[in-house]
Order: sequence, then structure tokens, then C-alpha cells
Amino acid sequence: MALIDLLVPEVVKTPLEAKDKPDVLRELVQILKDAGQIDDLDTVLKAVQEREDKQSTGLGAGVAVPHCKTPAVKSLKLAIGIAPEGIDFDSLDHEPTTLFFLLVAAPDQSGPHVEALAEIARLARSKAFCQALVRAQSAQEVVDLIKGE
Amino acid sequence: MGKPINKIMVYVDGTEQSVTAAQYAICLASFSGAELIALYVVNTRAMEDLLKARIFLSDEEAEYEHDLEADAERYLKYVGELAAKKGLTIARKQRKGSVHKEIIDAIHDEQVDLLVIGELSRIRSRRDEFYDEAERAMRTAPCSVLIVKDEDRVWELYESLV
Repeated sequence: MALIDLLVPEVVKTPLEAKDKPDVLRELVQILKDAGQIDDLDTVLKAVQEREDKQSTGLGAGVAVPHCKTPAVKSLKLAIGIAPEGIDFDSLDHEPTTLFFLLVAAPDQSGPHVEALAEIARLARSKAFCQALVRAQSAQEVVDLIKGE
Repeated sequence: MGKPINKIMVYVDGTEQSVTAAQYAICLASFSGAELIALYVVNTRAMEDLLKARIFLSDEEAEYEHDLEADAERYLKYVGELAAKKGLTIARKQRKGSVHKEIIDAIHDEQVDLLVIGELSRIRSRRDEFYDEAERAMRTAPCSVLIVKDEDRVWELYESLV
């Protein structure tokens, strides 16, 4: 499952309205709800928060990849949020996070989940590409950038 | 002169395309009398990368690896059943590591002379060309490679086997 198969403008939000970590997680899950990709916001949010409680998925260099498995979804779901001003996400480098990739997977779909996470990890290695995403002016521009990469 | 194909290996990854490839490989084995192997590779390389990137915790890596091993068992069992329905046996092989490398190693170890894979994903970005594991295996395989297309035709062919 390629990341771009999951990517439509409806699951991208820039800029995010949230100003702190709990609100970022809620807003990312809300993106999926608003896009009609999930029904049960509370269950998904709880699963994301539980994973986040073990260790922050703020990788450093301005990127975070919150993720979880939950039976509340039947297939892999992706949401992207961008906060150009940066948000404190308890990142490993203690720097503000600007780029958030949320991945929610069904428990029996570990293969596509691992592939999508690996793809995000590869994307996140390019500082220039991440900067271009953060500068994007619209959800469509984010989609075009990722599809054109 | 010996048979042109003695051992066929089909790469199964749980996608519909790989199941179609398995059906075609079963048909080929039935027509040619070749031995049949199904291979699933648990992509531990990707999980190691995720651990290094700190996306995964170590217990998360172990949990996902366990899940993928279960997937491998399930898909290989399914392919085994597809072969059994047509009176064939298929040797089921599960390996762990980097997918394209494990496919190549299995070709060498099992002395495979035809690799059968499902239709490749459409290349939509430069990234895909670098990271599509089946495509990398196709390019580097030391034996002939058959890419199976046309799911409907393959299904008819498989169903028509007695």
C-alpha cells in the first residue's frame, strides 16, 4: 500500500489550529472523522493517545508520526497536519514539531501499516522536502508535493 | 533435453495481485509438471528501520513482527489450499529480512528457474522506483521472471483446471 494511495486533500490540514500536543492529536483524528474515514473518533483518539503515552512519536527535526492499531478502522487511514509555527510535541530533540503524519491501522493489517510507516520515515529524512511541505499554502499543494516527490 | 522449467517459485505478499500470481503459478505447474514453491518474506528490514528512526518502540517492533509472521502463515496456507484444490502440492517457505534480497537468496537456495510475481504497482513517483520490493526483485533475479496480469483470465484458467 503506497502512501499516495491514501492521500487526498480532505485528509490534509494546513495550518492546524491546535496549540498543544493533546489538541494536535484530537485535531488530526478529527480530520479523519470530517473526511468520513472513521466513525468512532473517541476510540481512535484513545488508541493514538495510549501509544503516545508510551513514548512521544515526535522524531525530531520537526516531524511526528503518531500511529496506532485499532479495530475502529477496517483499513489503513492517513491524516497529515501542518503547523508552520511549530508545536511542543515532547520531541526527542526538544524542538517544536511542524509536520504531523497520523496513521491508524486495523489490527490485522500490519503489513500495509509497516510499509506506510517506512515510507513516511523515508520522506522525513529529506529536510528540504519537509520544509517544502511546511511552506505549502494548501492541502492540494501538500498532496501535489508528495505525489510529485 | 530436460524440462524448460523444473521449479517455479511464486512470491506471495497478501495482495490480490500475489494471489492471482499464485493461481497462475499453479496452472503453470499443472501444465509443466514443475515443482512449486510459495515464498512470503516478513519485512524485518523495514521494522528495523522504523526502530532506528524511533517510530517504533522495541516492544512494538516485536508485536508487529509477530503479526507479520501470522500473516505469512495465513497467506501461505491459503495458497497451499489453492494448490491442493487442483491436486498439487506447494512447498511453503517463510523468510525474514529485506524482501528483495530474501527473494533472490531463495531463488539461489531452492534452485528456482522461474520466479512468478503479481502485477507491479503503477510507478507514480521516483520514490516508487527505488522502494518497490517486487520491482527490485524482478530487476535483480538471476532466473526468468514472469509478471502475472489479467486477474479475470487467470481466474478462468485456474477454475478450468481439473
